[in-house]
Formats: sequence, C-alpha cells, structure tokens
Amino acid sequence: MRCDLSGKVAFVTGGAGTIGRAIVQRLADNGASVVIADINLPGAEALARDYPSAMACSVDISSRESTEAGVAAAVARFGRLDILVNNAGVNTFAHRVTIDEFPIEEWHRIIRIDLDGLFLMSRAALQPMLSRGEGGRVINIASVVGLAAMRLQSPFVAAKAGIIHLTRSMALELGPKNIVTNAIAPGSIISEGTRQLFYSADGSFAARTEEFMRHVPLGRPGTAEEIAEAVLFLASPGAGYINGQVLAVDGGWTAGYMM
Amino acid sequence: MQIDLDGKIVELRGDGGPIAAAVSSALAASGARSATSPAGTLPDILVVLMPLVPQDGLELAPVLRTASLAAEAMRARGSGRVVFVLSAAAEMPMRRHGDYSVQMASALATVRSIAMQVGPTVLVNAVGVGVIGEPLVAGDPAMLAHASVKRPGTLGEVVDTVLFFCDPLNTYTTGQMLSVDGGWSAGYGRSF
Repeated sequence: MRCDLSGKVAFVTGGAGTIGRAIVQRLADNGASVVIADINLPGAEALARDYPSAMACSVDISSRESTEAGVAAAVARFGRLDILVNNAGVNTFAHRVTIDEFPIEEWHRIIRIDLDGLFLMSRAALQPMLSRGEGGRVINIASVVGLAAMRLQSPFVAAKAGIIHLTRSMALELGPKNIVTNAIAPGSIISEGTRQLFYSADGSFAARTEEFMRHVPLGRPGTAEEIAEAVLFLASPGAGYINGQVLAVDGGWTAGYMM
Repeated sequence: MQIDLDGKIVELRGDGGPIAAAVSSALAASGARSATSPAGTLPDILVVLMPLVPQDGLELAPVLRTASLAAEAMRARGSGRVVFVLSAAAEMPMRRHGDYSVQMASALATVRSIAMQVGPTVLVNAVGVGVIGEPLVAGDPAMLAHASVKRPGTLGEVVDTVLFFCDPLNTYTTGQMLSVDGGWSAGYGRSF
C-alpha cells in the first residue's frame, strides 16, 4: 500500500533493529519524517543517512530521562510528533526455564524494558501530541505470546500481555483527544537473531521450526517487512477509527488450533 | 490509501448498500475487475458483506457455506483472498441484539476456521464494523456512547481496512478480525 504521510513526524523505538528498520523505511518511503530512536546509536545513525528527513537519536526506553530527552530532541528538530511506534523490546534466549527457576534479575530486566519502557516512552511522546491538539497515532508492537501464552519465557509473556491491555486502556483514555492506539502482535519473525533458530545450514527449516510451523496456517515465519506493512496501515490517514485493536500478524497462528 | 490490484478479479457477495458500493468503487479504482464477466469465474478476491445494522432473524449459514466453498476452490487453485465485513459485535455481544451477536460470532468463527483450512495460499480475514456514517449505515447509535473516538466512522475508513486485507503486500495476516469501531470493543469507556 501507499499513503500520504507527508508533514507527519514518526518516532520509532528500536528503529535500528530488524523490524524497526523495516518500519522506518516504510514510513519514510510514504513521506513521514522519522526519528530513529535506538539504544544502538551508530546503527540508528547509519540508517538515518539513507533518509534526508530522518534523524537518529539515542534512547534507552527504560529510562525516563532518556525518553524525555529523545522526545525533546525530536520536537526541537521537527517541531511536532504525530506517530509513536513502540517497537523496542527484549526477550531472553539464555534463560529458557520455568518460572520457579527464572532468575529474578532477568525477570526485572525484561519487564523494565518491555513494559515499563513502553509506558515511559508513551508518557513522554504523548506530551507534544496532546499539547498540539491535532491528534496522533500510537502503535505498540506486542507479540502473539501476549494473546496465547507460551512456556519458558514468563516475563516476556507477561510484558506483552500487559502491553496489549495497556493498548486498550490508552485507546479509551486518548480516543477523545483523537489519538488512536493499537497494537500489532507479530508471530515468529525472521531477524538476525532468529534466522539461525529457524533454519538449518542448508536453508531448510530446523526440526523444531518444522514442528512449530505445523501450527501456523501459512507454514512459514514472517518477515519484518510484513510487520512494517501493518504499521504503515495503522499510521495511515484512513485508519483513524481503528482504536484499541490488536492485529496479529502471525500467519494465522492465533486463529485457532491446527488439529 | 492506494493499493495495486493490477487486474485482479474481485467479487462482492452478501448485503448490498452504501458500504458495498464504496468497497466496489475503491477496488475498481485500485485496478481490480469485477467478477460479473465472465460469469462463474472464481475471483482472486472475494468480499463477503454481512448485514451491518443489527437485526433479528438473520440466517447466515448459506452465505458462509458458499464463501467457504469459494475459499476451498481458491486453495485448490493455489491463490486467493477472502475478506468478510462483519459487525464488531462478532467479538463483543450486545444485550439488545443477542441473536444478531450470535450470528456475527458464528461468522467470525467461520473466518478463523476457513483461514486454517485454506492456508498457506489463501488468506481469510474480517473487518469488524462499528457505528458508521451520518446518517448511520452500520451499527447501533447506542455504540457511540462507548466509542472513545467521539464520532461515527466513515465509509472511507471501512473501505481502507478492506483494501488493507486485499493488498498483495499484506501477506502474513490470516484468520484475524480488525475492528473499525472507534474503540467501542476496547473496553469500558466510562469514568468511575
């Protein structure tokens, strides 16, 4: 799809990562000025060089000071903020254990970034949106594990379920101000981090991927570009009456049981 | 919003009315051709519109069955899209429209079931519609009191969501309903 986002300013957290980069590209290609916010500043700066209307910004979403500084820098450069994409987040691959064994520090680290971070980022970014009074969009990147729980990643599951319900709460609070809030729940998405998990050296599915993909009607992992397409739609002018919704971009995994 | 349907054949079934007309026009403007000629052609995209103003006595089983058969034929062919336009009451039943809510929930269950049966080559999704239009063409006026976006939706906002599910670039979403209801189904929008 194509739409006209010219004159709009988007703030994308985790903008230098695999999904974030695709989101930045789709928004910028459709005319938005984009703030590429990431804790990885060199990565954000490298991407910003491809887009004259983009700026890179170092943001740690788990820090109130950092989120507020990032928003201040964005407003100083562009004068406004219209679209917030809360994309940054973390999970654990090192601690795939049940909750009785889950390291307490790791629990707090994931909740602090994934859930507290989304709250802090939203709180900061909403100030210029509300003060202008021209409405806006908030798009939260959740996960299918926030809809259907999975084992061995309890803080990630809890944080993403929290994001989904927070999305609905934000929709109720901000809708009267013409700011609509929605979530996208990605399923299994190929990234630098997950490619080796999904595929064998010969390019075929790894055994456990093959087993998992039997539960996905489309039978494959998704791509960052497919998530970005959904973000672009929710940011588009025609999506202004969609509010408090959770769109799973998951190949149909949460449609039902494939049995 | 622009999508490129590049000569794809589309068919609209079910309830007529302003939303059907607007969807038809938008699909044509996106480069799609109507399935009416030649007759009997299996479309690339099937849009199934349900009655969107709550009413009792609906019997949706026949239209759901024929849509299911069309999706199965698309699967056998190896490609296709099916987009249902339902009421947002499919996910949030309404006390005064119990029978209607049951019918819509049944339609949504059909969407999800078909999606699982006809993947990976055919995608099946739904748009859930709240209060649309002034004068109203979908929904119940009472829904407005619980829609945090304090206005009815527009035909264009429904049409764009249908286009999103028809878009050839939208390729990893199936078995989903996206509601265009101003936040009506998001939660309880009252201050206590």
